[in-house]
Amino acid sequence: MGVYVHIPFCARKCFYCDFHSLEVRDAHRFAHLVDSYLAALRREALYFRSIWGDKPIESLFIGGGTPSLLPADKLASFISFLRTELPFAAAPEITMEANPHSLSEEGMEVLTGAGVNRVSLGAQAFQDGLLRAIGRLHRAEQIGESVHLLRRAGVSSINLDLIFGLPGQSLVHWRESLEQALALEPDHLSCYALTVEPGTLLHAWQEAGVLQLPGEDEQADMYDLTRTMLPEAGYEHYEISNFSRPGHRCRHNLLYWHNRPYIGLGSGAAGYVHGCRYSNRADLDGYIKSWEKGEPSYEEFQELNPEQQMDETMMLGMRLLEGVAEEEFRRRFGVSYWDVYREAITELIGQGLVEEVQGYLRTTELGLLLENRVSAAFLR
Amino acid sequence: MVQKNIRNFCIIAHIDHGKSTLADRILEATGALNQREMTQQVLDSMDLERERGITIKLKAVRLTYRAHTGEEYVLNLIDTPGHVDFSYEVSRSLAACEGALLVIDASQGVEAQTLANLYLALEHDLEIIPVINKIDLPNADPERVKRELEDIGLPGDDAILVSARTGQGIEGVLDAIVQRIPPPTGDPQAPTRAMIFDSHYDQYRGAVAYARIVEGTIRVGDTIHMMSSGRRFEVTELGVLQPQFTPVTVLGPGEVGCIMASMKNVSDTRVGDTITTARNPAAQPLSGYRPAKPMVYAGLYPVVNEEYTLLRDALDKLQLNDAALTYDAESSAALGFGYRCGFLGLLHMEVVQERLEREFGLNLITTAPSVVYRVVMKDGTVKEIDNPTALPPVTTIEQIEEPFVRATILVPGDFIGAVMEVCQERRGIFITMEYITPERARLEYELPLAEILMDFFDRLKSRTKGYASLDYEFIGYRASDVVKLDILLNGNPVDALSTIVHRDKAAARARALAEKLKEVIPRQQFEVPIQAAIGSKIIARETVRALRKDVLAKCYGGDISRKKKLLEKQKEGKKRMKSLGNVEVPQEAFMAILKVD
Repeated sequence: MGVYVHIPFCARKCFYCDFHSLEVRDAHRFAHLVDSYLAALRREALYFRSIWGDKPIESLFIGGGTPSLLPADKLASFISFLRTELPFAAAPEITMEANPHSLSEEGMEVLTGAGVNRVSLGAQAFQDGLLRAIGRLHRAEQIGESVHLLRRAGVSSINLDLIFGLPGQSLVHWRESLEQALALEPDHLSCYALTVEPGTLLHAWQEAGVLQLPGEDEQADMYDLTRTMLPEAGYEHYEISNFSRPGHRCRHNLLYWHNRPYIGLGSGAAGYVHGCRYSNRADLDGYIKSWEKGEPSYEEFQELNPEQQMDETMMLGMRLLEGVAEEEFRRRFGVSYWDVYREAITELIGQGLVEEVQGYLRTTELGLLLENRVSAAFLR
Repeated sequence: MVQKNIRNFCIIAHIDHGKSTLADRILEATGALNQREMTQQVLDSMDLERERGITIKLKAVRLTYRAHTGEEYVLNLIDTPGHVDFSYEVSRSLAACEGALLVIDASQGVEAQTLANLYLALEHDLEIIPVINKIDLPNADPERVKRELEDIGLPGDDAILVSARTGQGIEGVLDAIVQRIPPPTGDPQAPTRAMIFDSHYDQYRGAVAYARIVEGTIRVGDTIHMMSSGRRFEVTELGVLQPQFTPVTVLGPGEVGCIMASMKNVSDTRVGDTITTARNPAAQPLSGYRPAKPMVYAGLYPVVNEEYTLLRDALDKLQLNDAALTYDAESSAALGFGYRCGFLGLLHMEVVQERLEREFGLNLITTAPSVVYRVVMKDGTVKEIDNPTALPPVTTIEQIEEPFVRATILVPGDFIGAVMEVCQERRGIFITMEYITPERARLEYELPLAEILMDFFDRLKSRTKGYASLDYEFIGYRASDVVKLDILLNGNPVDALSTIVHRDKAAARARALAEKLKEVIPRQQFEVPIQAAIGSKIIARETVRALRKDVLAKCYGGDISRKKKLLEKQKEGKKRMKSLGNVEVPQEAFMAILKVD
């Protein structure tokens, strides 16, 4: 069990981002908004506390948006509130996302004091030009400074987020980004392919035909380079886009990939509790107002039947390099994945996209780059 | 009904000149419908008609009109389709009338179909009332249009100026109908002859014939005799549409109504056929009947082979309503079981395909349409080939003939050169050119019908900034040096992608087609070579490179439902593809040949 908290504020919306987040323009109004939002989050947390019961919570992930934009003392006291009110296990993983331009050492010390032990830093690239082209506010040199700051503040696990396939990015740029990232010796690296989502500025530019994106082959080369360089530097490739030093896998994200329950708190957040998937409406004011009345306001709420649970377990589990354990699947659903997906699995094996090794069904090297095909094959 | 107070008329126009809107206003003005009952364009009742703004099936409406003299008239408005594909139906509905409103857009002026319809109407000896429509639009120029009318032999000053949109001038139209169109003639005692000008299928009543009584009478209870098919039925019900169905017991000369006689499908009531009665039988049918003959053939295949029987049921149902549609079972090595369907033209084909998908929920692959080739064999026999795959071995063929049409193109003088170029590219033979007005030229070309199928009109439009208008008619078969172009995907010939092309164009078409296929076939897990071949000779080649990566999207913040929806959508898209061997081919690929040049 884990808890995800969504902080929908950014200093500026990145050009590729379609997550729910608001640009902060007026400092005074922002301070007020933060207070009402955190109050609403507290109410929602207590509501889910009553629904969830006492089973221990292993991880907390504060994502966004830009959580590091919140005043550190307010965020810290909110984290302390959660740790007091919710049944956290001993030594939970507590991650927060941060942007290199919005960190301060004092603030970070307050947050580690409240229990933050993992920070995921939105580095994205190590070329100022590329960063500007996607609307990031930081410069490349601030990434290193931030990493050192986090170390000094006592953060025990640091992740860097990197994106490949950016407008104007070449394989040379990508190699450089990976090298510079490795030089900072982070504990974890997430390397995502850029997807141009409808509703974003990048999408508008793409439609207008002015965007110069690397081609499919070039992106595949970037991914292949990542898969070579990071393991050579001692990072385990454990999920399609994620690499870690031994002992530093992200426990919270593993909950998603193992299709385990989690509570999602906040405007636009999604959760999976007692077999029900829900997502909150992505409407900040509406969220605050509904929790003033003590009511949830869902965009979607769906109880999954066993078939859907199985499908999602496969769809998510195949993202992991180790794959899905047949024994574990059988323990959970009472049948083998072979009983349910024989046709799909046989076809995927025939195509060389998956393989079964020592009781695990897993995606092959070839299948990793075609993960959508693999995942989709398990949806009925 | 007093015969001298009946007026039968139709409305003819070039597409988009406002025929349906004018019909609506006439219905409104005669009180057939009040404004509240009007959905826009009442006569276009199929959803598809309304969306595409075209009239596919014509219908007849009986209106009551009290003239200024106080005398009451029955006006039968017979709607006609406005597209060249349906010209036979146009001609049948003209035959049911004594007069026609010729609608011309006040800014567009005379167009190719205006002319074609005018000639048809004159051929049927109709009284023609020119109506200049859309005079409320800022760029309307009724004076110029009047001059154009003079140029094509109509008295411009007799034209009535209207805006069907606002209703301005509609009274004048009704007056002219009464004053200028002659009443029908015809002896009620003569042997009965009625002409079917439309039919439709009603779930409860079976096929319903819309007919114009020329001579004699038809009563409920009569045994009627369809003179071309020889079939007999007993009349169960007669009625007129006002526009609601209103039963009557007898229809006399000049009247227009619908006849129900427990007919099982519309092929029992063929458009153009003559109905007579056992009570007072006629010896000779009315002239001019010919069965609608499909000009264009294409294969329709379900994407999922199991849906074959559903496709059959759907075609059966559709044919009840569409006597011009023909279909025969065929099988393709690539696509499995399907139907070879015959259509009047490309629009008819699109309409049928859309109705199958929309009304019956089928997911279909349509192969590239083909004309019917006449193949003269060395042994002297002649074969009609409507599917390129069926072309006999070259060594057994003496010669191949393809259908030609005479195309009439109207275009402003500035674009004559462009029209000539397009026709030249399409193997056109220049026949004549004349200026019908000082600004506007009429060109006549003889063209292979196959070339018209290949995006001809779109190309014509784009090269003339949209000004050219086109009409064409079939003129006969001519010997032609054509060859079969085959396509191989991944080394395997795909029969459904074969086409017949002119030898001189084969190389260019092959290259363009291979390129186009490369564009529309998505990258697969492996490299897919595309080859175009004549016989065993490869004349063009392209390669779809192997797919290396699909999206590696972030599964963010646990929003798994969203990721799942994306994957499901992708999967849906894949379902619309046809798996040929192990190559996934989208529907567009089969139409690619039409989009190349």
